This record gives sequence, C-alpha cells and structure tokens, in this order.
Amino acid sequence: MVNKQGQTRLAQYYEYLNLEERRALEEQCSFVEHRNYKVVYRRYASLFFLVGVDNEENELAILEFIHLLVETMDRHFGNVCELDIMFHLEKAHFMLEEMVMNGCLVETSKSSILSPIQLMEKAS
Amino acid sequence: MEQLKTIGRELAMGSQGGFGQSKEFLDLIKSIGETRSKAEEDRIVLREIETLKSRLSSPNTPKFKLKEYLIRLLYVEMLGHDASFGYIHAVKMTHDENLLLKRTGYLAVTLFLNEDHDLIILIVNTIQKDLKSDNYLVVCAALNAVCRLINEETIPAVLPQVVELLGHQKETVRKKAVMALHRFYQRAPGSVSHLISNFRKRLCDNDPGVMGATLCPLFDLIMTDVDSYKDLVVSFVNILKQVAERRLPKSYDYHQMPAPFVQIKLLKILSLLGSGDKKASEQIYTIVGDIIRKSDSTSNIGNAILYECICCVSSLHPNPKLLEAAADAISKFLKSDSHNLRYLGIDALSRLIKISPEIAEQHQLAVIDCLEDPDDTLKRKTFELLYKMTKSSNVEVIVDRMINYMISINDSHYKTEIASRCVELAEQFAPSNRWFIQTMNKVFEHAGDLVNSKVAHNLMRLIAEGFGEDDDAVDSQLRSSAVESYLQIMGEPKLPSAFLQVICWVLGEYGTAGGKYSASYITGKLCDLAEAHSTDDLVKAYAVTALMKIYSFEIAAGRKVDILPECQSLIEEMLASHSTDLQQRAYELQAILGLDAHAVKKIMPVDSTCEDIEIDKNLSFLDGYVQQSLENGAQPYIPDSERSGMYNINNFKNQEDLESSTHALRFEAYEIPKPSLPPVVASSTELVPVPELSYVADILQPTTSITSASSSDAGSSDLKLRLDGVQRKWGRPNYSTPEPPKSSNNTVKIQNEATLHDSVGISNSKARVVSYDSRKQQVEIPPEKQKLAASLFGGASKSERRHSSSSQKTSKTQNHTADKSHVAVKTSQPPPPDLMDLGEPSSNISAPSIDPFKQLEGLLDLTQDTTSLSTGGVGATEAPDFSSLFADMSLSAQSDDFASQVSSVNSSNGLGGSTTERSIQQQLNKGPNLKEALEKDALVRQLGVTPSGQNPNLFKDLLG
Repeated sequence: MVNKQGQTRLAQYYEYLNLEERRALEEQCSFVEHRNYKVVYRRYASLFFLVGVDNEENELAILEFIHLLVETMDRHFGNVCELDIMFHLEKAHFMLEEMVMNGCLVETSKSSILSPIQLMEKAS
Repeated sequence: MEQLKTIGRELAMGSQGGFGQSKEFLDLIKSIGETRSKAEEDRIVLREIETLKSRLSSPNTPKFKLKEYLIRLLYVEMLGHDASFGYIHAVKMTHDENLLLKRTGYLAVTLFLNEDHDLIILIVNTIQKDLKSDNYLVVCAALNAVCRLINEETIPAVLPQVVELLGHQKETVRKKAVMALHRFYQRAPGSVSHLISNFRKRLCDNDPGVMGATLCPLFDLIMTDVDSYKDLVVSFVNILKQVAERRLPKSYDYHQMPAPFVQIKLLKILSLLGSGDKKASEQIYTIVGDIIRKSDSTSNIGNAILYECICCVSSLHPNPKLLEAAADAISKFLKSDSHNLRYLGIDALSRLIKISPEIAEQHQLAVIDCLEDPDDTLKRKTFELLYKMTKSSNVEVIVDRMINYMISINDSHYKTEIASRCVELAEQFAPSNRWFIQTMNKVFEHAGDLVNSKVAHNLMRLIAEGFGEDDDAVDSQLRSSAVESYLQIMGEPKLPSAFLQVICWVLGEYGTAGGKYSASYITGKLCDLAEAHSTDDLVKAYAVTALMKIYSFEIAAGRKVDILPECQSLIEEMLASHSTDLQQRAYELQAILGLDAHAVKKIMPVDSTCEDIEIDKNLSFLDGYVQQSLENGAQPYIPDSERSGMYNINNFKNQEDLESSTHALRFEAYEIPKPSLPPVVASSTELVPVPELSYVADILQPTTSITSASSSDAGSSDLKLRLDGVQRKWGRPNYSTPEPPKSSNNTVKIQNEATLHDSVGISNSKARVVSYDSRKQQVEIPPEKQKLAASLFGGASKSERRHSSSSQKTSKTQNHTADKSHVAVKTSQPPPPDLMDLGEPSSNISAPSIDPFKQLEGLLDLTQDTTSLSTGGVGATEAPDFSSLFADMSLSAQSDDFASQVSSVNSSNGLGGSTTERSIQQQLNKGPNLKEALEKDALVRQLGVTPSGQNPNLFKDLLG
C-alpha cells in the first residue's frame, strides 16, 4: 500500500524478499508489468493499493480483491482514510492476514474477516 | 473537507489517548505523514531508530508501551530501514498472555523474520503451546504464524497438532489449519504427502469458508498432478453450480455476485482438470455455459468471472458453442472503453487463438487500436498477442513494428525480450535473405549487447550457408549485400560488441569475394574498426583474424600483399599486447605472411566455412610413424584404463577419476614423470618449433597439432586428423586438457534452412477481401488501418505460394501504410482514459443483437444429460442444499484410493507445461541436431577467442 507520494503505508510479502528487492519493487510502483511480476493497482483518493501477482492471476479479480479489502476496512473503521491505516497498522495487517494466507485469497466474507478482530478487541 | 475530517479524527484520537497510543506515537505518524521527500522521511526514521534503541534497552517497560514500540519498529522496517535490534522484543511478546499483545507479537515476528532466521527456533516452542490453547483465537494467531514461519526442518514439530486442528469445532481454525498444511506442502511436498486426503475431506466441509480455502491447496496439487484428481471434476462442478445458484451465505456476495472469488478459483481448477481431456471437459461445458450466460458485464467482478470463463473455455477440449460465446465476450471486452477490459480482451484473445486462430480476424481493428494506444501495458500485451499469431504472411509487418517499439523503449529487460522475439520470428518466418539480414542488422544495432551471443553466431552461420538453396548466385548475393550493409554501418559509433564481431567475421570471410572491394580497402576498414574499439579485445581478435583471412586469400590468389601502414602498426601493437590471445593471433598472422601461396591455400582455404571437416579418430595416418617408433624400441601404447593408478598420478583429470573411485590417501612418493612419445608431426615444425620431450610441448600441443592437422592435409588429402583423443593416446598425461576441436560446422546441416523459406509469400488477396468486408460494416475506418489489419491478419488459411519477391513488394507498401496509419491514429485518438478507475466501473458495452446463449442452450441440455449419466450416483446434481452435497461427496471421497494419489503426488515434480511447449515447438521447427550443433558451435567459438589461460585454440576460426 503506497500513498500518492510513493510512501509505503503497509506491506506484506508472501514470499520472503530481502530489503533490497523490496525497495526496488516499491519504488517503481507505476510499472504495471515489471519483470516477472505484474502489479495490479487501484487508487483511492491519495492512496494507491498495489498487489504484485504472477502471470497466471486474474487481474480484474485482484482489482476487486483490493476493493473488497477497502470495503472491509471501511466497515471496520467507518469511512476509512489513510490515517486510520497508519494509526492502526496492526489491525489493517490482521485483516489482510485473515483474507490472504500463503499468497492465496482464502476468505472473502466480510463478517468472517472481521469477527476474530472484533472479538480480540473486546477481549483486551 | 478531507482535511477537516482528518483534523476531527486526530482530535478524537487525542482526546481518547488514541486508543492507548501515546502522544509520541501520534507525533511520529503525523510527521511521517507530512514528509514530502524520501530524505526527510529517512531522517525521521533514523531519529526514531535511536529513540527506540534506548527505550527498548531500558528494563521495566510496561507491556502496552512495548506493543507501541513494536508497531513503531514495523514502521522503521516498512520504510526501508533495519530494525533487527528490536526483533527479540517481538519474539518475547509472542509469549504474552494478553491476546492482542500476543497477536501483535506474532504479526511483528512474521513481518520481521524469514523462515530461516535464527530466532525462529525460539518461537516454535511458543507456537506449539499456543496450538494447544483453549482459546481458539490464540490457536488462530499461532496458525497464522505457522503459515509464515515454519520451514522444512520445523514442520515435524507442529505437524501433528495442525492435523488435529483440521477437525476443530471452530471453522476459522479448520480453515487456518488447512492453509497451514498447504504451506507445508508448498515448502516440502514430501512432508505432507500422506495427508493429502485431508484436503479432499475439507472440500466437503460444512463451512463455505473452509471449503473456499481448501480450493487453494487443491489447485496446487492438481497443477502438479492432474490425473489423480479427475474424480473430483463432478464435485467441483457441483460446488460451482451451487455457488452460482446462490446457495452460499449472503455474506459471501460481492457486488451482487455470489462468492465470485470462489467461482474464479473453481473455474481455474476446472480448466486444469478439463485441459486436454474430452471426457472431463464434457462434464464442465454446462456449468461454464451457464455462468457465461448469467454473467453481468456491467461490473468489474462480473467481467472478472467472464474472463476466467474464457480462459477455462480456451483450455477445455474445444466446444464450438462455448467458443462462440467466448469470442462474443472477447469482442465486448475489446470494444470497451476501459483499458483494463481491453487488456483482458487481448489476453483472452491470445489464449483463444491457440484453438481457433480465425477469431483474431474478427477483431483485427480492435487489436490495431490497442497496438497504437499510448498505454504501455496494453501495447506490450498486444505485442505478445502478435508474437503468438505471427505467420510467414505477416512477419514483416509484425517484426517491423516490434523493432520500432524496441528502439523506442529504455527498459533493458523488456528490450531484451522483444529483441529475442524479433530474432526468433525472423529466423522462423523470414521471407527473404535480404529482409533477414536487414532485420538482424537493426536488432543488433539497437540491442546487440542484450541478445544472446548465440544469435550472433547464428547470423554468421546463416550468411555462410545461405538459406539452403543450391543456387550459389543467391548465396553470394546475400553475402555481398551483407558486406555492403556492414561497410555502411560499421563507421557508426556505439555499435554493440557482438555486432562488431559479426561484421569483422563477415568482412574477413567475404569482404574481398566478388572483387568489388580491394583488399586494402577492407583491411583499412578493419583497422579503423579495431582502433575505434581498442578496449574491446574480442572485437580486436575478430578483426585481426579477419585481416589474416584477407591477406591469405590475397597470397593464395597469387597477388602481392601490401600491408597498409596502419595495419602494420596495429599488428605490431598486438604483438606486444597484454592479451596472450591477441599476441598469438598477431604472431600467426605474421607467420602466414611469410609463407608461400601453396601453403597458405591449404591453411586458409577460401570460403571454407561450410565445408565439413572430417576427423579421423583413429589417427590412422600416424600408423606408419608409430610402427617405426616401435621398431626403434619405443614402448607400446598402454590404454588409459590399463595403466596403473600410480602412473596416472601426474594427470589432474585422471587423478580426479581415481580419487572418486578409491578415495584413499597415497603414501608412496610421486614417481618421476616419464618422457613420452612426441605428439608432433614432422611437417608442423616449420610453423612452430616445438622442443621435443619437454613440458612445454604438452602445453603447446593442442595448437601445434592443429596446425599439423592442416599442414598434414597438404601431404595427403584423404588423411584427416581427429584431434580429440590425441592426448590420451600419446604423450605423457597432460596438465591441461586441450579442448576437443570439434569445431563448428562439422555437424551443421545446411538443408535445415529450407524450412525457413518454405511457407513464404502467402497471398494477401484474401486479406484484402476481409478488409473490404469490414469496410462495408464500418465505413468510417481509414483504409490505411485496414491495410495494416489485412497485412497482420490476412489469409491464414490460404496457402497459395508466391514468389518471395512479390511478398517483398507488398511488404514495402505495407510498411509505408503502417506509418501513415500511425500518424492518422495519433491525431484522431481521444485523450487516453486513465488506467485506474476511481469511481464505479461503467462499461458501455452494448448487448449483442442476437443472443448467442439462446443458441447455446440446446447444446447445454444435451451435455447436462451426459453429465448426469456419466456421474451416476455421485452426480446428485439436484442436491437441495450445500451441506447435503458435501455429505454426498465425503462418501465418495472416502471410498477413493488415497494411496495411489499420495504416491503420484510424491513422484510429480514441478509444473511448466506451457514453457516447455514452446521449446518443443521450436525444436520441431529447427530439428534437434541443428540446435545442438549451434550451441556447440557458439560455445567452441567463444572458447576459441576468449583469452583464457587454457590453450587458446586459435585456428578455430579457420576450421570453423
């Protein structure tokens, strides 16, 4: 997740890449097909959501996955904005963790994604 | 407005203490948020690192504070700095009792560490404990960590618990346990091969979330081993049917589509299972047809499903009705205003033309629009499509476009790719020699350093051999045109090294052939070239060898050689070169200059590149000599294998062999090396004087024996020398192995090129007809564009042959029109729509006038019948609800023979059908022998000219 100035706001990797490789990937965010990766991106106000995928992925579905993530965050934070994600970085991560595991999209039901996180909040 | 909202939020956070977040944290986030440059951000982060270091090192930090510090560490790492000093605190936090802290700890650990990090071992224990927790949220947190941190070695430590959790009462836990197993499978397929059946069982889980997650590992499994999962086709079809019929909970709906992501995954799986399998495909047709019919092309997600359906149809056994529906969907994509949809349309088209190539023709104009679109991604995708549909009838236009595009871009990665594709297409479909040479010139000029060196050798070979026609006149015409174009080009600055090498070689071989250019002109040019690239030893080496060839051709022709002063000084400079390779070449050149015409003719025969060099492996011509030596009392030759190990100890190679067989230490002292028979043939001594019976002889041996080969040719034309194996038969075992000079062209077969030229000149007449048709439909399209379309897509099916000259002519006009149309489009193009869509996607796709799905229905009913027949009891297609379906399936699944699957999963390794496909095709086109020979050729040549310490084999060029 990168904002308009190309500043990173949230990053998760499903295959370990070292810092150098990450930097190279993140700084060239405007590339859509970069080497063997394909970057699907979507812009919400000042925030770009980038998803790097391999060549076999359905790009449009990934685009909608981004939207699903945003909708989910929106439901949780209520009218989500960049600062919500910045102040609650760990929660944004938790949501992503619920949705994506091993690089696969596993959960697409918003209530299933959010219920563990809400339960956890209540518990502590 | 935006700002007001933010300020309000900040105020709210400030008043609540930011949900337990300190002022410091808020300030940090705010300052990071306000930075305007990377440098500013770096400064803040560096300051933060210092703060955190001191804070973390102080004892008695309260827990909630620690959590905040960890999140601040996450920021440090995320913004590209090293936060390793705090890793241990993340590890510690995973031990915490508090769930939120624990999960944050796990999160930090998964983000900081990779699975091979040393600290992981500290976490495995915690994970084990947490997996047994009563609180399912703790178990979930641990399972998340398992998915990120457990490596091959630690799998056994958690595997039993993970397997147990597959039956946990909470669906979230089951789901995550499935994914943990999936992770183990990804990391070490062998570790879970006995547990594969669990995936089948979980596919029948009552919870759709678990079922959806199970599709991920099953997809991977099916990818590696399709055949073991054919029995699941029915189950997948049933699930997909139920999903499409909205049997899943409403919460899975996304933009009014029922669980679209599950549908897409299922379609992916089905296309794997149905690929190349008629029976399986027949079971799938109905549901795919249904989904296409129901699809909603007004939303992104609907189009995503539609696209997946097209992909599925293109991989299934071809079904005319479905193909028609897919083609229809593609045309909707291509006509859309959205770049995303057009991109997908092009991609889908390139998939579909594999099974029905004629589809491309319907969309030719849309494709050309995409090609000329300013959007780079779309353009590249379209080039990919064109690459896939290149035929001999359209190769000129396509390659021309590719080269122009290649010149216009800077990204070296993509440049290389396009260049190699140009070369590939040119080699495969070249309509004429001239065109091929010109194309290659362009590619080399602009991307010579990026393409494989093999390509350069290929080009040299092609010029040497011609296109395989017997007509010598054509070949020499090709060569002279190459020489001419090179003489023009070679003066340009910044030519890539590989291209210069080709130029030198061609000028050396053919520069003076035909008598158009004088030797002094060519040699002058070569000298200029060598001087202009004085830092490139390879080019200089090629240049000096070329000089040598030209001089010896002159000598052989009986003409007097006068060496230009600049050549003389070049040679002198090289005689003193630091590169031994250059030095030796220069000395050889000098030696040749001193020989008479007869000898030179034998050493440097004119135009001999294509002549096969026969090699006498048995060295029969030496028999007399050996016999004589034996009579004089020399020891008979003892084959390698019969010699004792002690004797061989001097030989590196043999010693290695020996070591590998005995692996024992030697305690005896080394033997004094015995002098052996000189390997030198008498006649060679006049070229290079070799002291007999010395170590030097061994080192020089390869070179001298090669010269002796050519000069012994002089003596008897029938006897040819086979050089590999020389070392082993004669002479004391060597310190360095001479590389076997199976140089270059002895395996090259000329007739292979015939295929290149075979299908040239397919008539464009049909293309014209097609374009007229489309003109009738859409009058406003400029004729230039149509011509381009015609040249791209024209007449695939017609295979009338024409002379290549005619296709040459048409190509010229096509090129011309292509340029024109480019201009025309530029002016008429509306401003490019942005790739990313900010608002709700809206596509202006109009419904087709005739509903193809109506026509489809008849067929679908038929196939439905067959499905239910073939599936029998399992195919309870009318299962009333989801759970009952799963119950059905679990029955069938359990009765399966798992053992066989397990073993087959074990044995399968890797995927990669599609990548090999291409190379296989290539091999078919070119013939395996030729390819191999070329590779060898390239390798040998490279070895020959690279100044490595190991016996630079200098006469390689001559032999080759």
